Amino acid sequence: MALLEVDALQTHFRTPDGINRAVDGVSFHVNAGETLAIVGESGCGKSVTAMSILRLIPEPPGKIAGAIRFNGKNLLEASDKEMRAIRGNEISMIFQEPMTSLNPVLTVGRQIGETLRLHQGMSAQAAEDRAVEMLNLVGIPEAKRRVKEYPHQLSGGMRQRVMIAIALACNPKLLIADEPTTALDVTIQAQILDLMRDLKHRVGAAIVLITHDLGVVAEVAERVVVMYAGRKVEEAPVHALFNKPRHPYTQGLLGSVPKLGSSLTGEATRLAEIPGLVPSLKQKIPGCVFASRCAHATDLCTAVAPALEEKAPGHVAACHYALREGALAA
Amino acid sequence: MSTTTLPPGVNAAVPMQDIMPPVRARGGLFGFIRRNPTIAIGGLLVFLMVFIAVFAPFLTSKDPTALAPALRTREPSAQFWFGSDMLGRDIYSRVLYGARVSLTVGFAVAICASAIGLFIGLISGFIRVADSIIMRIMDGMMSIPSILLAIALMALTRGSVGNVVLAITIAEIPRVSRLVRGVVLSLREQPYVDAAVASGTRTPMIIIRHILPNTLAPLTVQATYICASAMITEAILSFIGAGTPPIIPSWGNIMAEGRALWQVKPYIVFFPALFLSITVLAVNLLGDGLRDALDPRMAKRL
Amino acid sequence: MFAYIVRRVLATIPVMAIVALFVFSLLYIAPGDPAAVIAGDQATPDDVERIRASLGLDRPYLVRFGAWVWDILRGDLGVSIFTNLPVSTMIQQRIEPTLSLMIVTLILAVSIAVPMGVVAAWRQGTWIDRAVMGFAVLGFSVPVFVVGYVLAYFFALEWDLLPVQGYTPFARGFWPWLENLILPSIALGSVYIALIARITRATMLEVLQQDYIRTARAKGLNQSGILFLHALKNAAVPIITVIGIGIALLIGGAVVTESVFAIPGLGRLTVDAILRRDYPVIQGVVLLFSFVYVLVNLAIDLAYTLFDPRIRY
Repeated sequence: MALLEVDALQTHFRTPDGINRAVDGVSFHVNAGETLAIVGESGCGKSVTAMSILRLIPEPPGKIAGAIRFNGKNLLEASDKEMRAIRGNEISMIFQEPMTSLNPVLTVGRQIGETLRLHQGMSAQAAEDRAVEMLNLVGIPEAKRRVKEYPHQLSGGMRQRVMIAIALACNPKLLIADEPTTALDVTIQAQILDLMRDLKHRVGAAIVLITHDLGVVAEVAERVVVMYAGRKVEEAPVHALFNKPRHPYTQGLLGSVPKLGSSLTGEATRLAEIPGLVPSLKQKIPGCVFASRCAHATDLCTAVAPALEEKAPGHVAACHYALREGALAA
Repeated sequence: MSTTTLPPGVNAAVPMQDIMPPVRARGGLFGFIRRNPTIAIGGLLVFLMVFIAVFAPFLTSKDPTALAPALRTREPSAQFWFGSDMLGRDIYSRVLYGARVSLTVGFAVAICASAIGLFIGLISGFIRVADSIIMRIMDGMMSIPSILLAIALMALTRGSVGNVVLAITIAEIPRVSRLVRGVVLSLREQPYVDAAVASGTRTPMIIIRHILPNTLAPLTVQATYICASAMITEAILSFIGAGTPPIIPSWGNIMAEGRALWQVKPYIVFFPALFLSITVLAVNLLGDGLRDALDPRMAKRL
Repeated sequence: MFAYIVRRVLATIPVMAIVALFVFSLLYIAPGDPAAVIAGDQATPDDVERIRASLGLDRPYLVRFGAWVWDILRGDLGVSIFTNLPVSTMIQQRIEPTLSLMIVTLILAVSIAVPMGVVAAWRQGTWIDRAVMGFAVLGFSVPVFVVGYVLAYFFALEWDLLPVQGYTPFARGFWPWLENLILPSIALGSVYIALIARITRATMLEVLQQDYIRTARAKGLNQSGILFLHALKNAAVPIITVIGIGIALLIGGAVVTESVFAIPGLGRLTVDAILRRDYPVIQGVVLLFSFVYVLVNLAIDLAYTLFDPRIRY
């Protein structure tokens, strides 16, 4: 049984000018100890998916439907109290903005210790001792002094390390990382990724990594889910995805990543871009959500939404033409 | 679309159903009221009060100042709708005429304080030398609680509607000046104002073209609140005997007269209090609505 | 930090000087002979002459101002024209009721308004929120004396639960003292509660959208932990700022509230002084209230660091 099973997840928001179908029928699973990446452009619903798993979506104006089974238990049917016992304890989350995700008026030690006191019933003193340990674990020097400091006294990278310390304090089974390195300098990004990989092995947590950065995906993920306009369009093991993308959108995404040295080899390759804009999620789209931007789209694509089909073992894509070899090779 | 029409090898995805009812957008007058209920309610009530004030002589046949010692302190009845006071005057008529004083004071103070405050604020925002002096003076004035300041000013002068307006206006000016100055200073940082300065546009032109239009929205909202608080201040001044002269029927005066008898004849105080509260409420609602409609950022702040 | 405090304290001196100059000048802004203004309509020429002499009108303006300030610094606020008592003595006699009223109102208002605003923000858009906002608009709209009469009518006259009017000194026991202050405090506090509840709601709405609140929820914290620890502490600075500024409302309202509930405090002293045109008393009271107001806000400024570690001086 998978650790986390997301089944036909729908997260919609009520807005004054219509229903925003931010996530509309997304299914995937995460096995224990595995790293799954969810990729897509901003606004494709990947962050909303992550927030939906922990039910952090404000309801109303949001509403979540489908099923999210964690260890076989449907989180959408759990009570608020049960959810609180899971959040930060069995499933924890790291956010994109380390500069603003920590509470500016509470000490770092208190913010780490808080989860321990809450979920493990530790005393204030024990929680602070453990907070020092956690800071050591995430590689923050002078941890004893740092626990008494406030977030504004730390750099961005340090703050993200603190966020990781908070997330891992209770040894969660699943860690959801929503763009954990996006806001950081490139050198710090690598450090944080290394740290996450290292800690994953030590703690044995599964990771759902939300990112738009395919470089990060290649580095840490085992399987990848590609999202577009609130749907899953492709899912594959990481190598299969990079070697043989089956969906034109994935192809486009890969094409827009600069390849190292390409400009040095003399090839005048332009960085490929995907023309057009993501369609409004407030309109119902009858056909393929990518049809409006797809170079291969036909009348069939705009009329009939393609089902997700297994194209190769563990490799599914939602495209009418993905079957035909060579059709997308152009 | 049924699967039979699909070409072989093509599978359609199961369409997703919406999980919430569709959003209906409303247009027209009803839509406006739904979106801005406070403007609608406040506006309607203010209009009603203005109507009462203007047409007071047609809404009552009794002279609000006519004494009838034989008919003192009558309970509300068919003859005296709101009862009569200890001099036998008809409270209904007095309350209707009282609307004139309250609204006059409210509107006059709002207009005067806005105009003067705008002027001072503009000077302060544009002339650095003047700014530090003006703002020190405003700080000092704002350190005196505004009702107290109005009381102190009224203690010096003869009670008259004009002096009441003047006293409340002086007490309100610092707040408006601060507001305008703040807007001016933030606008001066804007690139388009920089560009106008750099291209040699003269200061008066910059003020007219760039500063004034942007000041208008917050100033309008502020003016409504000033109007509301001026009406309350007028009533307070009259109530403690430092406001409108007692011969003029104002809501504060009627209440002041009913003060001695309020335990036995509460209606004398009740009716003017009700009208005053409704009017101030209406103006405040209007202000809240305007604020939400004109300046979403300000709406978030307060 | 220490240097900041010193600078901040020194910065209030010019403000107070301007307040003093303003209060002093009030008498001379008015048209006509200030001595005649003070003496009023029924005064004999003798009265006017006596007042003129006591004001020292024969000396230059700034010299008079200097002398006046010097007297104030020594605690001499002048002598009442009506009672011939020193103004400082009169203030001393009347200060306890006013201080009691304001402190009880302050405690009452803050302990009601802050939770109200917090709950309204948490339940934004629900009937609770609308009720709080509706109450706030009413609080701004219904004048303090109207609230006072309505409360007194029902709670004192109709239901006989609390005393109608008057004041019992603190020395005569806590409950008798408090009993007399409950209705006046609610009446006086209504605007203040409205103001604080509104700013609390607005600030909390802003804070609740911050990323760290999402983090707190993701940690599994319960609602009250999020609201009252994580959010409220961040919202504290704007809220206490408004609590300080709003004291002006309390001061202005006290003048009226004391009249409605027959409390023999500074407010009543002011009203009586106005009716008798007892100008030294008016000046003294206005000056005292203004200085208290400035000092309270200074104290609040200095207290910011307690709530927000990012503020450094």
